[in-house]
Amino acid sequence: MKRWLNILLLIFALLPLAACHEEVEWKDNPYGNFDALWTILDEHYCFFAYKDIDWQEVRSRYRSRISKDITSRELFDLCSEMLKELQDGHVNLVSSYDVSRYWIWEQYPENYNERLIDEHYLNFNYRRASGIKYQILSNNYAYMYYGDFSSGVGDGNLDVVLNDLAPSDGLIIDVRNNGGGYLTNVETLVGRFIDERIYAGSIQHKTGKGHNEFSEPFKYYFEPARGRVHYNKPIVVLANRGSFSATNNFVSIMKSLPNVTVVGDTTGGGCGLPFTSELPNGWSIRFSAAPITGPDGKLTEFGVEPDVKVDMTEADMAQGKDTILETAFEILKHKRS
Amino acid sequence: MTRKVDIRFLIVMLLVACGWQCALAQDSDEKPLRPVATVISAQYGHASLLDTYLSSVRYGGHAMSINYEAQQATSFAPESWTRQLSVGVDYDYTHNPAGNHTLHSLMVDGRWGMMHRWKDVFTSGLQFQLGGATQLRGGVLYNANNSNNVVSARINWNVGLLGQAIYNTHIKRLPITVRYQAALPVVGVFFAPDYDEAYYEIYLGNHSNLAHFGWWGNRFDLDHMLSADLHLGNTILRIGYRNRVSTSWINNISTRDMTHYIVIGLGGEFLNIGAKNRNKLNNKVISSVYQ
Repeated sequence: MKRWLNILLLIFALLPLAACHEEVEWKDNPYGNFDALWTILDEHYCFFAYKDIDWQEVRSRYRSRISKDITSRELFDLCSEMLKELQDGHVNLVSSYDVSRYWIWEQYPENYNERLIDEHYLNFNYRRASGIKYQILSNNYAYMYYGDFSSGVGDGNLDVVLNDLAPSDGLIIDVRNNGGGYLTNVETLVGRFIDERIYAGSIQHKTGKGHNEFSEPFKYYFEPARGRVHYNKPIVVLANRGSFSATNNFVSIMKSLPNVTVVGDTTGGGCGLPFTSELPNGWSIRFSAAPITGPDGKLTEFGVEPDVKVDMTEADMAQGKDTILETAFEILKHKRS
Repeated sequence: MTRKVDIRFLIVMLLVACGWQCALAQDSDEKPLRPVATVISAQYGHASLLDTYLSSVRYGGHAMSINYEAQQATSFAPESWTRQLSVGVDYDYTHNPAGNHTLHSLMVDGRWGMMHRWKDVFTSGLQFQLGGATQLRGGVLYNANNSNNVVSARINWNVGLLGQAIYNTHIKRLPITVRYQAALPVVGVFFAPDYDEAYYEIYLGNHSNLAHFGWWGNRFDLDHMLSADLHLGNTILRIGYRNRVSTSWINNISTRDMTHYIVIGLGGEFLNIGAKNRNKLNNKVISSVYQ
């Protein structure tokens, strides 16, 4: 009995040593919140080396501008300005009164006018399923607009859509101004346009707090949607700078397919899978944490270039024409002949 | 040569087993009755949760749990060994310090243990029980505010120590059992993603480095409770305090969960009196806790 009691006493004496590790807890004051934000990004953001950013230098430049009597809104603006140094649309600081952003598409021509297409090409007469707007146009080319990868794409809905569009001579998939969403929807959609397993890209994640601590790239593949309706005729994907994140990923994969042409503008990029954390004052911070390459093995953080670069012109728009869509018609016509 | 030894060994073992069975058959009518001490308890208190995979700040809030516990003397040595089963469901509803984000935690666990008992140690009515237990615990933490790190899955299987100190006494004429129980996992296996590894990557098929050998160097768990069981006729009313600590440190991800509960439970000691046991009603009764 005494022996057992001694063993127990020894165990309890060792307990304070168990799983011993320190966690920094930041104070909810201007310096604490700034330091929390800077450190979260320092330890988790995945593109410091790729973008050649000296984050330590950025810290000293911005931290020196903080004073004890800085207001909450002034601190938010200061932090937002610092975050723009990362040039990343996936980096957002969210407070109750504002969302900081680096939306590259705001600096480029919009290259998309929904009303123009609805009025002059679809004649306000289109079908809609799983967030996809679709119709066979008068020139017998099929058009489908998918505006949000967060909209669930059901296999049954896709069967209906692609069955309806099957009599067409070519398909235009318009993902302009699609700001992204679920990558699983990318897989679901791409599966309808491939007949064999394809290499879709690779994903890495950070393994530690250092800027260069990454796992080995994990290659992943997409399978064709077996037993489902496919579309095998020529396809044109329309993209613009607003095609961001999951849409950027979709365009990079579609571009690698032999029967697909990407037309429009360079996509908005955003190839880092975002994570979220928060500051002591409750502000959320979203940031890129896991880089994903396209099938060509390259990071597309700054976008995927189109096969055919074309902007919408004012003259065409005045005539009710979408220059990018008209270019798609020409490409499909050329492929048909 | 080896074969002969094996056959001889087998024969001896068979004889021993047969003899043991015969002995059991002879005294089966004298076998004591072993009631199951069962308590179902509702627990409420405070939870403090930190999971750096989800957030850099600690969350705090309500902790709720429903727990079922059954303990019985073992059949092979009922005077000196007991076994215990504990099953529970925990739900924590917590908020960040700023109060604008919510973290939900839902966990299920089951633990089975066996303990040696020493009765009337130091003084009459005081007993100690000490042994081993195995536990499977799992669930998820969910933070709706997040993007690709919206959940943190927890699965942990472990083996460790289980012990209790029990003091059966009376307050005036009311029988009361004061008990301190502690479960202390020592080693095990647990799941943890890599630092900043999204569940999407796991979904894509990267299953490397997800299962980890758990020991006190990378995780520490302790579940302990101080309770008083009031014997109100055949009913047991349990009131107590329970504390659960769970921490881990793996892949630069830190988790620290601490819950404090007030425990209120109802139960009793139950005997299975089927046709088989009806002729044994006058046999000795061995309670695993209350004796």
